[in-house]
Amino acid sequence: MVRFDATLLKVFLYGLPGVAALALFAYAHGAGFIDRSAAWAGFANASAGFVFALWMVSALYLSVRLILSAPFRDHVIARITFVRERDERETQLTGKATRTTFLMTMALLIFLFCLSCFQVSVYRVPPEKAVDGKRGMVTLGIGFSLLEQDRQVRSDEGVQRQDIFTYRGLPLSSATIILLLILWQVVSYNCTMRRLLK
Amino acid sequence: MSKSLPQLKIINRLHIFRAEQRMTQEQLAREVGVTRATIVAIEGGGYNPSLELAFRIARYFKRDINAIFSIEEETP
Repeated sequence: MVRFDATLLKVFLYGLPGVAALALFAYAHGAGFIDRSAAWAGFANASAGFVFALWMVSALYLSVRLILSAPFRDHVIARITFVRERDERETQLTGKATRTTFLMTMALLIFLFCLSCFQVSVYRVPPEKAVDGKRGMVTLGIGFSLLEQDRQVRSDEGVQRQDIFTYRGLPLSSATIILLLILWQVVSYNCTMRRLLK
Repeated sequence: MSKSLPQLKIINRLHIFRAEQRMTQEQLAREVGVTRATIVAIEGGGYNPSLELAFRIARYFKRDINAIFSIEEETP
């Protein structure tokens, strides 16, 4: 099992640059760049698709293993995040850095949660719609939905208005936020560890 | 209510014993199984070793642990 995991991990890691290159290539030229009518191109496309599917399955399997297997997690994540515990002092400092990172990440998550829920609109209404002669309006709201497709944005379509400033939650996709959080964890841990090791 | 306890400071004479043996920090670190940075931190008072490491250091120098590490009450 250990050898199987190690082999899959190598496949995943060595395949990662290839997948990234393919993604960049597809992004630059578009999917229609390859002429599938040529026999070799069709074969190459099908083979690359098969290899890509295998790589995706290995990525899913490895991510589940990382959650379930403590030794595998310690081995892999410790390497990826540059965790070094060569003696008792470094183990103690790792604990401190992990605690700091945990608390900072929690603070960041609370901040992101606020940003994703809050909705703010600042606008002007026509003179005939003015309330007590005041044309400037501020609308505040909180939008929380369990599922992305249920997300509700307060609609003011019936009101003729001239928008000055509108904020309706984070514009980032969930994949971007997850990627940023992963990078944040690694950078935050390493910066704290470097400061503690001084 | 917990009563306020006096602050204790651990004093070590590690650098003296190391100098007597004409050892480098790197050599001592290798002998007791830690990194040189840890020896530097202990000698500088920035890190208090665990009991296990303290005993390992004392055993290496063939001394009583109290000869190397002692406690001093810090005055506020």
